[in-house]
Amino acid sequence: MRSRAPGIAVWLLVAAVVLLAYLFAPRFISDFHSRELAGAGVFFIAIVGLNLLTGYTGQISLGHGALMAVGGYTTAALAVHEHWRDVWTIPLAGVAAGIVGFLIGLPALRLSGLYLALATFAFAIAIPSLLKKFSGLTGGSQGLRLLEDAPLQVTGLSGTVTIFGHTMTQNHFLYYLTWGIGLVGFLIAWLLVRGRVGRTFRAVRDSEVAAASVGINLAWTKTLAFALSGVYAGVAGSLLAIQVEIVNPLSFTFLLSILILVGVVVGGLGSLGGMILGALFVQYLPDLSTHVSTAEGAPDFIFGAAIIIVMLLLPTGAGGFLRRLARPLTTRLYLRP
Amino acid sequence: MARVKYLILLVLGALALATVAAGAASETGVTSTQVTIGGTTPLSGPASAYQSVAKGAAAYFRYVNAKGGVNKRKINYIYKDDAYDPSKTVDATRELVSQDKVFAIFNSLGTDQNLATRAYLNALKVPQLFVASGATTFGNDYKKYPYTIGYQPNYRAEGTIYGRYVVKHAPKSRIGVLYQNDDYGKDLLAGLQRGLGAKAGLVKSKQSYNVDDPDVQSQIAKLKAAKVNTLMVFATPKFAIQAYVYARKLSWKPLVYMNAVSSAANIMGLSTAATNKKQTEGTISIVFLKDPTDPAWRNNSGMKLYRSIMKKYKGGNPNDVYAVYGMSVAHTFVAALQKAGKNPTRAGIVKAADSLNVTNDPFLLPGISVKTSATDHFPLDQAKLQRYHDGHWVAFGGLFRVR
Repeated sequence: MRSRAPGIAVWLLVAAVVLLAYLFAPRFISDFHSRELAGAGVFFIAIVGLNLLTGYTGQISLGHGALMAVGGYTTAALAVHEHWRDVWTIPLAGVAAGIVGFLIGLPALRLSGLYLALATFAFAIAIPSLLKKFSGLTGGSQGLRLLEDAPLQVTGLSGTVTIFGHTMTQNHFLYYLTWGIGLVGFLIAWLLVRGRVGRTFRAVRDSEVAAASVGINLAWTKTLAFALSGVYAGVAGSLLAIQVEIVNPLSFTFLLSILILVGVVVGGLGSLGGMILGALFVQYLPDLSTHVSTAEGAPDFIFGAAIIIVMLLLPTGAGGFLRRLARPLTTRLYLRP
Repeated sequence: MARVKYLILLVLGALALATVAAGAASETGVTSTQVTIGGTTPLSGPASAYQSVAKGAAAYFRYVNAKGGVNKRKINYIYKDDAYDPSKTVDATRELVSQDKVFAIFNSLGTDQNLATRAYLNALKVPQLFVASGATTFGNDYKKYPYTIGYQPNYRAEGTIYGRYVVKHAPKSRIGVLYQNDDYGKDLLAGLQRGLGAKAGLVKSKQSYNVDDPDVQSQIAKLKAAKVNTLMVFATPKFAIQAYVYARKLSWKPLVYMNAVSSAANIMGLSTAATNKKQTEGTISIVFLKDPTDPAWRNNSGMKLYRSIMKKYKGGNPNDVYAVYGMSVAHTFVAALQKAGKNPTRAGIVKAADSLNVTNDPFLLPGISVKTSATDHFPLDQAKLQRYHDGHWVAFGGLFRVR
């Protein structure tokens, strides 16, 4: 028995539930928890972007933390040196990281698999040092501080933000801003992977030879995926800078790249629905693991063990798990696990 | 009618009393039985060895609480992980302030980490007490950031001590400096030049490195070529060890002054293992805490107290000098809280922290006091010199006081 996969009514229902959750969640949680959720939103955006690249196109990147740094520093430098209002820099941060993403995508034309991962790894390692080198622009090892040095901040010290005559707390504003952008970004990614672009991405992932033989331009497809993915990472980095009001090389170490990759894998490669869970996982687990034990080395160990356990129990990530749960309802859209 | 009047008066009186009572304990983070404070420390990640500072402090607070607390209030010290990432410091600090409603931020660790939260805390008038960083700005810029105060001897003061010692005891030295090219290295270098004063010409060569350089081989070669006989190492542990290693490769044995950042006994042990005993012998550094591995303090009452607290209140590895530091800074906080009076306020404890004179800290070297005033925001500004001899540090000479 095969029926047509989820009808429009089902998708509308899901969209309505998500929208309602987005609009009303801050009413049910404390002000600070909205801030934490905004932090998860930053991860969500970066993870959705990396999923386009790794999940759909099959290119591994260990350099997405560095692309976030490009976005974050674009925002901070424009706000601090050029006195831009911080929120207006978000699109530019996306473009800047998109261009850098395109550039680091170039080696992908010659390298594949683990060799490509190593090339992006080198980028992730180099970025913190580069940031310290050009200290006139980046503030060196101290970084840039928006709270003190950016004259036009949307948040700032008052604790409240007024937009369109509506006043809300700063943390609620950050939540709405981050997840608003996150959901739009998610929608764009979803539309992309459903259509022609998504099919070429998947074709490249499943077999480069087969893809090329049906006329797909491999070089164009791979660099497009890198650039697109970079835009998401750049926007995420920019939002991180706006949230914590500082940028510092120590915030964009190789570990951040790994965390984003963990988020994608836990969320489920090649599945967009699981990405929210992936984002919540990397946002909350490090903190939770220090609650279990603060013995020296224990939090890192618990974090690692949790990842292993999740991968053992959910080998296809949260996305795969959700698909399996939904299978009786939606029939077998995917036969692959 | 008279009865009604009487009743109204009674009600008004009761209301007034209730207001006074409520007002007395209305400071954020302070109840009649507890004072809640918090800070950040790297519990995870590459810098997690520093967490012993917070754990030593926590053990000391448990000890104080077991003895009845301060003015019958127990100290509840919450330390949160920031993995040494300043953006996480911001989030964790905001959580402490807005969620845990702490009275003050205490003993948060790291220069960039504390700089990241300083403006926020000062704007909200939340005390940022006894910052665990030697950067000079935390003591110097109190006019702009009155709610912030440092603790340990600052880097500039340390450099000054080395300079003064050279002028007094080795005025014919030819000095070479290896320093990290950032605020920390430059603070030490500026201090050295201040200490040398008119003798600043003794510095024959200054070589800097960037923290992301792979090694300092060429810098050491240049210093040797400049024919210096005294080497000031203002570098973090990795580069400090390399300085010894490359000097030995060039068969060069200058007298080394090692900055306190890299002088912990285990790092000196590594340097010795990587070279030989002769290479590290005679190295000079500063010291202000009682070193728990130093046999000289085995029967010292302060260190006996330290060891019993570490054991009974689970402070961690008792041979870790960072834990001694944590107890000392906790001891100072207790003194400030006592000084802030029966009903401490945020403004009150900042004022108390700015007028300290603690002479009985059992974890500091004898004679060192924790002293501050309206114009002196450097609680610790005294230190002794110590010399590395036969695999141990041995303190010598009198106390220096430098700001």
